[in-house]
Amino acid sequence: MSEPQVPQATYKASSREIGARSNLFVQAFRFLVINLKMIKMIRKGHH
Amino acid sequence: MARVVILGAGISGHTAALHLRRMLPKSHQVTVVSPNSKWNWIPSNIWVGVGKMTTEQVTFPLAPIYRRKGIEFVQALATVIHPEGNAAHDKPFVTVRSTAEGSAGELLELEYDYLINATGPKLNFAATPGLGPDGHTVSVCTAGHAVEAAAHLRDVITKMKNGAEQTLVVGVGHGTCTCEGAAFEYVFNVEHELRQAGVRDKANLVYLTNEHELGDFGVGGMTFAMGDGTMSSQMWTESLFAERQVKAILQSHVEKIEPGVIYYEQLDGSKSTLNFDFAMLLPPFRGADLKAYDRAEADITDRIFAPSGFMKVDADYNVKPMEEWSAEDWPKTYQSVAYANVFSVGIAFAPPHPMSVPRKSPNGTVITPAPPRTGMPSGIMGKTVAITIAAQIKRGSNSPLETASMARMGAACIASAGTGITRGTAAAMTLYPVVPDYKAFPETGRSLADTHGEIGLAAHWIKALLHYLFIYKAKAKPGWFLIPE
Repeated sequence: MSEPQVPQATYKASSREIGARSNLFVQAFRFLVINLKMIKMIRKGHH
Repeated sequence: MARVVILGAGISGHTAALHLRRMLPKSHQVTVVSPNSKWNWIPSNIWVGVGKMTTEQVTFPLAPIYRRKGIEFVQALATVIHPEGNAAHDKPFVTVRSTAEGSAGELLELEYDYLINATGPKLNFAATPGLGPDGHTVSVCTAGHAVEAAAHLRDVITKMKNGAEQTLVVGVGHGTCTCEGAAFEYVFNVEHELRQAGVRDKANLVYLTNEHELGDFGVGGMTFAMGDGTMSSQMWTESLFAERQVKAILQSHVEKIEPGVIYYEQLDGSKSTLNFDFAMLLPPFRGADLKAYDRAEADITDRIFAPSGFMKVDADYNVKPMEEWSAEDWPKTYQSVAYANVFSVGIAFAPPHPMSVPRKSPNGTVITPAPPRTGMPSGIMGKTVAITIAAQIKRGSNSPLETASMARMGAACIASAGTGITRGTAAAMTLYPVVPDYKAFPETGRSLADTHGEIGLAAHWIKALLHYLFIYKAKAKPGWFLIPE
């Protein structure tokens, strides 16, 4: 049996970045931003 | 009066049916043929697979919706297309075998003026001996499979709580699988559940994939704009795997599975085994086993379908080296190459080639993700073909065909990495276009302004919102058509 390795991260998110992923205020803002990006995507090439 | 028959009631078929019914006067008939009595919001099956949702939350019966909308519903499996009719039928027709209670096995012949093949994939577990719920692994491809997966997961969590160490493998069960995004979602949802259960330290969690590098997702990877620079989806995904301590075995083709052991080959030709206590491996897809006959009952299946079983449409199927691949190879109208009144959408159409770099091991084994064509693109294709057919019925068959190439289409993909209103996480990705276009975007094949990736709680909220929004839309509730595909 081969023993798989944990992937070597070529980029490591900072602890600040990781913390922001669950910060309610930051995420409420990101919720709006991601929705706007999705709406832009929908408008492109959509009917 | 015209009759449109739609084979399949998944995302593309159901979308096409609802739009056609909305666009066509009631004098025209819209018929949906599906072997399943229920509609399934497949993207949420991963939550059923970790015990966070029930089948009732991701499925609903189709018949009442179709009755309310004036769509004929035939619960049956399509078996043969007769695009020229035959001695008994002047018009084209399709033969279907009933799967409804009380009439199961009965054959019906449904004449059509227009046919939409939206049969989705056949889950080809048979391609890998021992793969799937009838073998030694579980799946989340259907809500039923996901319930089984959740039960197995509960068992291994109980064993870990009792002190045992367990190896859990999540990934794809063949070198040519697609939908790596679903495997990605499931492995991180499992990881999340293990942490919630307090047994993460007892679990050896392994992601087994045919991708050449993490973050390929069958779309050849992506380059995201990030701050003033860019970041590859590979770096982005590796970072997440390292943070969550999920091990990865890349470039793999699973050869066979025996109880507790996966046998796999890698791109360098080496062969290895991996012991497991729990394994959720997705199967490769092939087209539904549809046959086709001409008016004289000669077999014309090869004219209409590719060897993979997917229907040939207006794509460029000439075999060419990757350097010559072009965005123009991808279909625009989804019209059959052989019959102008036949269309194929969603997973059912034959893609011209992969989006990921095609690779073979020294043993000749193909280890290349197949191109995904699910979710948002599927819905857009369904609506596009509905517009074409409605226009042709109302204004004549010379009406121009509506177009929606995946090389001119954007997509948003939300991949869950754990559920919970304050503890959930997901990866939100937008990409434009879905199929890389190196003529329009020479650097990365996609628009950097529109290709974006982000991980966080907000993306989980969006994933949860989309669950309710798309089920509302699929139930054709008031204003459903205002919700984009």
